[in-house]
Amino acid sequence: MTNHEFEQQLQRQIDALPRQQQPKRDLWRGIEHALAESPQQTKAAASPLRWLATAASVCLIAVLGWFGSNHYIEQRAQQLALAQSQQFIAAMSDNHQLQKDSLLVALKGKPAFTDNWQQQLDELEDAANAIKEALEHDPRNPTLLKMLQSVYQQQLQLIERVHAPKLIHI
Amino acid sequence: MNQGTVTALSPKQAVTTSSEDELEQALIAAASNGNKAAYQQLYQRYVGQVYALALRLTGDVSHAEDAAQETFIQLWQSLASFSGDAKFSTWLHRVTANVTVSHMRKQKNWLQRTFGLESANEADLVAPLPTDDNPLEQYIQRLPERARLVFVLHAIEGYRHEEVAEMTQMAVGSSKAQLHRAKQLLKEWMSHD
Repeated sequence: MTNHEFEQQLQRQIDALPRQQQPKRDLWRGIEHALAESPQQTKAAASPLRWLATAASVCLIAVLGWFGSNHYIEQRAQQLALAQSQQFIAAMSDNHQLQKDSLLVALKGKPAFTDNWQQQLDELEDAANAIKEALEHDPRNPTLLKMLQSVYQQQLQLIERVHAPKLIHI
Repeated sequence: MNQGTVTALSPKQAVTTSSEDELEQALIAAASNGNKAAYQQLYQRYVGQVYALALRLTGDVSHAEDAAQETFIQLWQSLASFSGDAKFSTWLHRVTANVTVSHMRKQKNWLQRTFGLESANEADLVAPLPTDDNPLEQYIQRLPERARLVFVLHAIEGYRHEEVAEMTQMAVGSSKAQLHRAKQLLKEWMSHD
């Protein structure tokens, strides 16, 4: 196949690709839940805030330049890394909450295999909170992060498992 | 974007399109003011496009669903910043690409940090996509991640290399090199058909 033939064939196949594809899962429910907790920026409110943020950034850069010491910059870099880890934990928790709520909404009213699954779920929630508390003091600890991820997964598995046996017969 | 198709419209189609545009403007305005029912209608109009792009970029159904949800959540928060200078669909398209690439980066960082995978290859960790009639769709999913991102954004979606470089945080030269790599692989696979 020559380059010219290849480019022509490739373009034909690109043109034939579908521009739309519907997801198999209903994504709106999760979005709707998140919107309830997401404040929306308004045009009036967004503008002054952006100016304030820009002004604050300029001041920070000026202060950093004025100090210019390696120690200060190093300290600042550590603070930023810490903030990034905290943001990551928050994002992971938000994402988990979204998945959990979607699952609970989808299974609402469906019969559960055990009666005390809510209690088990609460216990796992307590465990997750304890790990998050520990992460507040050490947000970059990989073992704690793994534990939190594992507890979140256990919660989702519990919800699915207690509803699964009955769902099979439906 | 350098890609675009101009379609001749009949007067009837033009009227329909115009009223469609007006309806869309009204939906955007209402959603910007916090009307969730209007936002749901915008979601229904565009979820197919958003999901298709996210799926092509990630190559994974679960990640594409997450990225599509994240796109609509971020869009809701920043709807007021849509100036109306560009078409809403163009703006949404750009938001989708940025959110999806960012989502992929976060996933990769998570795997590397938590499980110590220095060169985490997500393709090894996710289920393959269901088979598709268009062989190109399958070949795209087989491309290495960086080559796939560049190929989808530049060759399919029409973004310039400078734009792709900015979105994917790679140098413009790397973007061109990845496109060359993608095309070489595609040519090889297509030759064997």
